[in-house]
Amino acid sequence: MKPLPLCTGFTDPYALTRRSFLHQFGMGLGGIALADLLTRESHAKALDRGVLGAPHAGAKAKRVIYLFMSGGPSQMDLFDPKPLLNERHGEELPASVRMGQRLTGMSGNQSSLPLAGSPFAFQRHGQCGHPLSERLPHTATVADDLCMVHSMYTEAINHGPAVTMMQTGSQFPGRPAIGAWLSYGLGIENDNLPSYVVLTTKGKGGQPLVGRYWGNGFLPSRHQGVRFRSGKDPVLYLNNPDGIDRASRRKMLDRLNELHALQLEEEADREIEARIEQYELAFRMQRSIPDVMDFSDESASVLNSYGDDVKKPGSFAANCLVARRLAERGVRFIQLYHPGWDQHGGLRGGITNQCRETDQASAALVRDLKNRGMLEDTLVIWGGEFGRTNYCQGKLTAKDFGRDHHPKCYSLWMAGGGVRPGIAYGKTDPFGYNIEENGVHVHDFHATLMHLLGIDHERLTFRYQGRRFRLTDVHGKIIKGILRA
Amino acid sequence: MMPSHPYLPCFRVFLASFCLGCLWAEAAPIDFNRDVRPILSDQCFFCHGPDAADRKADLRLDEREAALDVLSPGKPEESMLLERVHTSDAEDLMPPPATKRELTTDQKAILRQWIAEGAPYDEHWAYRSLEAIPIPKVDDASRVRNPIDAFVQRRLEEREWTLSAEAERERLIRRVTFDLTGLPPTPQEIDTFLADTSSDAYEDLVDRLLRSKRYGERMAAEWMDVARYSDSYGYQVDRDRRVWPWRDWVIQAFNDNLPYDDFITWQLAGDLLPNASREQRLATTFNRLHSQKVEGGSVPEEFRVEYVADRTHTFGTAFLGLTLECSRCHDHKYDPISQKEYYQLFAFFANIDEAGLYSYFTDSVPTPTMELTTPAQEKALSDLTARVRATEVRLASSSPEQIAPLSGEVARHTFDQREGGTFVNAVDDQTPASSNNANTLVPGKEGQAIRLSGDDPVNLKVGNFKRSQPFTVSWWMQTPDVKERAVVWHRSRAWTDAASRGYEVLLDQGRLRWSLIHFWPGNAISVRTVHAIPVNEWVHVSVSHDGSSRADGLRIYLNGREAPVEIYRDHLTRQIKGGGGDTIAIGERFRDRGFTGGLIDTMRVFDRALHPDEIAHLGRGIPLPKAIPVLAEAPLRDLREKRDTLLDQTEEIMIMRETPTPRESYLLSRGAYDARAEPVTATTPAFLPPMDASAPRNRLGLARWLTDPAHPLTARVTVNRYWQLFFGKGLVGTPEDFGSQGSLPTHPELLDWLAYQLIQDGWDLKALVKRMVLSQTYRQRSQATEAHQAKDPENVWLARARRYRLSAEMIRDNALYASGLLVEHIGGPPVKPYEVAASFKPVDHEKGDGLYRRSLYTYWKRTSPAPVMIALNAPKRDVCKVERAMTATPLQAFVYMNDPQAIEAARTLAARLLDAHGDSNATLMDDLFRWMTSRHPRPEEQRILKQMLEEQLSHFRDRPKDAQQYLQTGEAPLPEHLEPTQLAAVTVVANSLLAFDDCVMKR
Repeated sequence: MKPLPLCTGFTDPYALTRRSFLHQFGMGLGGIALADLLTRESHAKALDRGVLGAPHAGAKAKRVIYLFMSGGPSQMDLFDPKPLLNERHGEELPASVRMGQRLTGMSGNQSSLPLAGSPFAFQRHGQCGHPLSERLPHTATVADDLCMVHSMYTEAINHGPAVTMMQTGSQFPGRPAIGAWLSYGLGIENDNLPSYVVLTTKGKGGQPLVGRYWGNGFLPSRHQGVRFRSGKDPVLYLNNPDGIDRASRRKMLDRLNELHALQLEEEADREIEARIEQYELAFRMQRSIPDVMDFSDESASVLNSYGDDVKKPGSFAANCLVARRLAERGVRFIQLYHPGWDQHGGLRGGITNQCRETDQASAALVRDLKNRGMLEDTLVIWGGEFGRTNYCQGKLTAKDFGRDHHPKCYSLWMAGGGVRPGIAYGKTDPFGYNIEENGVHVHDFHATLMHLLGIDHERLTFRYQGRRFRLTDVHGKIIKGILRA
Repeated sequence: MMPSHPYLPCFRVFLASFCLGCLWAEAAPIDFNRDVRPILSDQCFFCHGPDAADRKADLRLDEREAALDVLSPGKPEESMLLERVHTSDAEDLMPPPATKRELTTDQKAILRQWIAEGAPYDEHWAYRSLEAIPIPKVDDASRVRNPIDAFVQRRLEEREWTLSAEAERERLIRRVTFDLTGLPPTPQEIDTFLADTSSDAYEDLVDRLLRSKRYGERMAAEWMDVARYSDSYGYQVDRDRRVWPWRDWVIQAFNDNLPYDDFITWQLAGDLLPNASREQRLATTFNRLHSQKVEGGSVPEEFRVEYVADRTHTFGTAFLGLTLECSRCHDHKYDPISQKEYYQLFAFFANIDEAGLYSYFTDSVPTPTMELTTPAQEKALSDLTARVRATEVRLASSSPEQIAPLSGEVARHTFDQREGGTFVNAVDDQTPASSNNANTLVPGKEGQAIRLSGDDPVNLKVGNFKRSQPFTVSWWMQTPDVKERAVVWHRSRAWTDAASRGYEVLLDQGRLRWSLIHFWPGNAISVRTVHAIPVNEWVHVSVSHDGSSRADGLRIYLNGREAPVEIYRDHLTRQIKGGGGDTIAIGERFRDRGFTGGLIDTMRVFDRALHPDEIAHLGRGIPLPKAIPVLAEAPLRDLREKRDTLLDQTEEIMIMRETPTPRESYLLSRGAYDARAEPVTATTPAFLPPMDASAPRNRLGLARWLTDPAHPLTARVTVNRYWQLFFGKGLVGTPEDFGSQGSLPTHPELLDWLAYQLIQDGWDLKALVKRMVLSQTYRQRSQATEAHQAKDPENVWLARARRYRLSAEMIRDNALYASGLLVEHIGGPPVKPYEVAASFKPVDHEKGDGLYRRSLYTYWKRTSPAPVMIALNAPKRDVCKVERAMTATPLQAFVYMNDPQAIEAARTLAARLLDAHGDSNATLMDDLFRWMTSRHPRPEEQRILKQMLEEQLSHFRDRPKDAQQYLQTGEAPLPEHLEPTQLAAVTVVANSLLAFDDCVMKR
């Protein structure tokens, strides 16, 4: 077995080692089959190391934790303050600013588009002085670790296409998600866990999440994201049925292995070896996955740092801690989804609530990784699929208002994994509507993410329908300005 | 053997793309298609290929004449092409290093030799028309059963190999039974087959299986992937939709052995066939199975374009084996399909009256649709329709009654005064109108008028009319400008979010449009004034509907005179109520453009269609007559209401129905829906045979073109897909791409022979299938010899049968069938077995029969597909798929061993066998093994099974509670008379065999 670099190293009394496996049915194996099994290691490696075998060059990040804020967090209420909007609150959005940008059908037919100032106060934080909304007090404490990007842009104006774009580089269904590309390119680091894990916050309404967001597209299906659920079975049918304990399953597998060894002798088909290995891996996963989800070995201070929610399985806080535990165990791409950032109305309360659910745990995750020396090679990303309009959707009332979707600029932050901490990249205009400098398209973001993982985004390709596809389609520039020297 | 055929002479080199590096040593003649085109296509065409817009240095290499600029035939040394691929100057090197493409030494050698040999070009193999192919002679015909084998054996003999012997009989019956019915043979069927020593035994078996109704289910299962079938709409909101009647048509079509050209034609264009039958129209649902959108705020045109594009791509993948997608945004980089030609194909699929979004607020089926009436409904409807017509005729010649003028008024609002946010209704003080202060009162036509903000409605409390109810609305209005679109007033919940269900008066390019709508635009009646109404001037408008649900029953009157109108839509077959927004609202609608700055004065609503004399009075002050003549319409209204109610009760399904005039289609720059460039009309790409000049330029013409025997692709693509279905991999390894970048056929003559034969047989699919499964190529053993393994590990040359895992459906259905739990009946609504409760968006599973139907009927939700099916490599069915990638993952083990469906099936089988065998463990294990693998266990296997059973028995004896618990899995009743520990132990063994190689693999 390959050493597991970051594994906590429990021992499973029932785990079948290579030696005992061979020993157990050594009698039944013919010479060819034995020889096959002995060379299986290299065979397995070829499968597991991905098509690239190793990163192209200069990998800064070994893994990614992507905190996806689904719905479109409002940049001017969180990270990119625009005092001008408060000054001109209620005035019409000037046509010279909008410049014909298409609007969604939700506000596109409004006869008036009044500018709306943020209801939140901003303060500068850390040495770097990132301005942050008063609703992000915990994020403020790790401000110096954050690389803010204020100039993200996309083409999509509705959630489905926009999330699909962020995750797959195309607005329309059918392309592989980022994590699937990485699994395909770099393979699996820990044999006992999937290389691409998805966690969604439980019990959130908001825009629906769909499996396509972590789909394998045209890549082989083993590269699709495996969504861990918060319930009894983190993955489909992980647990043995009631009444079947681990010993019973072990005995059944031992005999099944014997049947397969005979079958291998009879058929001389490598698929049979693969099957034996898959079943054993599944057996190990029945341990390794619950182990990830079990926080009993975490210290009280760590648990406290993530906030009270960490005790609720499926909460954003609990998922952040699961993400750290997965990262420790060598899972390459861990994606959290936290829906509910779609403030078409009731923005003040909505954002307050969203921040309450995510602020503390997001900051705790960054600090926790840093304390463990893992932030160096773990890239953390926090952001959504588009931004929000500087004008009000519907009625601008004294009490509250909402903002529609805005593709032309939005903010996200990254930390660790080779990005420059404490910098702000890109600039939006005083209206918070257009990008003034250093625009970062979704394809550029993907190219940069791949670069940080040591992958040349132009060279990780998959041939499908006669064409070499890549995550970045035929686009994507690496954003050099955010890379740490 | 055809000496002229380019593939036969040389086989040392197969597919330059994957045999390079080992084989290009001998200098045998180059074959352009086999050796050179793949290199040029993959390495050069991107910049020097069919795409004119992106072509570099004005050089194209996909056509010989143009390529001669850089080729000197016969003189490699003088050819610039070679110079550029060999140069050490990075500036000049081709392909340029920046493209991250690179030629291998072998590829360069091929190019050199090709130029030396005169640089001949050749037409791409897949675009050549089909011809009769002679069956090759073989040296050893001992294993040749039919022409397929001759083609395969011929190839094998070139490698000094031969077809393998026939598989063991148990394997053979298992293989063919799964392949033709999707289910395993029973032990009894196996025994019968083993006992049948006649030479026809196997053919008889095949005939029996082809007659089985399960055949249609098996074949339909594969077509569901191609057709991207789903029981939900997809995208993000992904509501359920009712399209399963189409799936049942597919099963029937396969079982009836509908000729495959009809199978294609009906699905593409059944609605356009003369006197199209119900089945022919139903078949066109195929084109509507793409994902559909409802997400709030989406731009309808963006998604309408996406739907048409999906139809076009599906057409390309399923029937042409071409990657049309590539030419959506630019000319195809590899194949001779220009962007314009893409949109010319696209234009065939655009001509239906559809909306880009389905309705969020109602459950209306997106148009166009057809009613799926039951025979009883059909009869009742035709009776009622006849009676309505007869009554209309009778009424027209009857003598009218006289009634008081302007009777039937249900609302009159003068908007002279707002009190507490309300406006009095002069004819009923219980139903005042209301509005906030954003709509202001200003001097009007008569006293005050209301000036509309465009974002705030004036809500009346009347107007919830059925479509059989005649009614009239009249009002004064003034528009401040020529409105491109504005809602004057309406009775509906929303625009696109409710598909406008209700009725409405809009300003449309300054003209008035008056509509009654079930689902806009395909199920509505609508008329529009020929002229724009004047700006900044008071106009009196009346609109009425006579209860007929016909566009000629709609009237618009301007200033008391009937206005000339054009009919805009004339197809209303379902209710206009029931979608919410039950009363008239003026000036604003949810997410629509309001009547900003418009003035409205004195609005009156009548629950009858007013007489022109009454309108003349309202609109231009002509004195009223004493009485108004009206026809005694009550019986007609009753009949219409009955008919309408019945229609509303019928089920509907999305189909294709061609619009009377083709929709305008355009080349869309960069593929963007809003970047219209030149207009295009429907036609087929120039590199394929032309459409018959007399054929209509619509989907029917397209289907006729596609199924014309002269078409080079359709039959090839079809036989390749079915070859893949029964042999695990296509003769062309890229079933979705027969173009320049696709794989070359491994057995081109066989592919062509099968394709030609399919056409000769009148597209008889069962004959094709039978031909395939009767061949020795199909029947041979699957075990590889060492030589096979060493020299042909991928089994390209078919010296043995291919082995591969059974499909997701087969694996689940097998467990159900062996256990006896399978509930077999064909068709019907989708069912929700256990797995849906474990899906991404869990829903409750059913109780009873729905748990045990074949997997073909499992409820398919695009954003949360059946998780067991997905774990076993079924595609999500977002888009057309013609191949399933079978990868093994550890997650599959959980499905085999822990899925309640599998455990319950194992237990049920165990119980049945315990009943049959009692204490005889040996025969029980034998029978069990046989149900799972179709063969008897070998002695060593018997020993292991015995040990497994004993271990489990002793395990459960020590833990009787565990046995009890384990047996609780699933809903099927637990047999009381069996000893729980014994039942549990046998269940474990049965369960383990569900995960056993011989159970899940086709060998």
